[in-house]
Amino acid sequence: MFGQSNVLAQGEVNFPPSVEDFYLPSIAPWGAHNNYWFTKITFMVWLAVGILILFFLLTYRKPQLVPTKKQWIAESIYGFVRNNIAVDMIGHQGVRFAPYFTTLFCFVLLTNFFAIVPFFQISPNSHIAFPAFLALISYVLFNWVGIKKHGFGKYFKHALIPPAPWYILPLLIPIEAFSTFLVRPFSLAVRLFANMFAGHMLLLVFTLGGFAMLNANALLAPVSVLSWVMTVALTFLEFLVIVLQAYVFTVLTASYVQGALAEEH
Amino acid sequence: MAGDQKPPNAGGPGDVPSGAGQGWTALSYLIAGMLVWGFIGWLVDGWLDTGGIATGIGIVLGMAGGVILVIRNLGTPK
Repeated sequence: MFGQSNVLAQGEVNFPPSVEDFYLPSIAPWGAHNNYWFTKITFMVWLAVGILILFFLLTYRKPQLVPTKKQWIAESIYGFVRNNIAVDMIGHQGVRFAPYFTTLFCFVLLTNFFAIVPFFQISPNSHIAFPAFLALISYVLFNWVGIKKHGFGKYFKHALIPPAPWYILPLLIPIEAFSTFLVRPFSLAVRLFANMFAGHMLLLVFTLGGFAMLNANALLAPVSVLSWVMTVALTFLEFLVIVLQAYVFTVLTASYVQGALAEEH
Repeated sequence: MAGDQKPPNAGGPGDVPSGAGQGWTALSYLIAGMLVWGFIGWLVDGWLDTGGIATGIGIVLGMAGGVILVIRNLGTPK
């Protein structure tokens, strides 16, 4: 909220932007440096949680047969996740995971969306901790669901032993173990984190780059303007990435749950 | 909660997963194959002092393994 505007107000632009720009000044001990107990990021995460709880509570408080506008929006989101993600990926038994997927989808979408909301302008998901924890939840979920359905031994047997002749199993089992139990959570977390990190970095480069060029030489003003026009265009691209990444995160979680529930390979 | 009304197309054809998940699975098999056996090969390299040959063999083996897994798990169902 204040990090970038401070920089711009002082008239000196720290270009190129660095990882430092992702660590915003603290809020709770106001303006303290190297204090990360309550920052703008923390604030945004809690805000997202609050908005989602309030939105769904209020819209579903007095459900109407002919929905009001807000109820229609909430039902559309839930219906979309339930039909197009949960049921599509998992089948009819996927309906019981629809509430979790909806929560996940909405939370990722909203926290991603902060990246392009004026005055927020950074997504909590551009810090690896948040995607990592979301991926951890999904990881625990799909393993738990699989173990509960098949039993411990049978689940791991299913997960680790592919249908193949015995003599190539030694080659395949390490790959299966690695890709199922290590690559999955890692790639879930890194995909979301890297997309949001890169998006923020890109916007910073083009915005601050415009100022840097203007400060360097007044003749470069047209290029600065071009740079800011690019910022606007990239903001629309960011929006696409935001929605896509929220969708991909949810779809992949659903796909892992489906894999854990599957009877046979 | 009002979430209990019937969605228009609940149920659907059933338990066939859509393409996106399969795509990511295939990709992760191919990459994981190279990484796992490449790493094992690299360890063997360090152990036997073979100067990179074992790593190469490991990566090729891993690629083969990844391809086999993709065919076995995602190929045409029997």
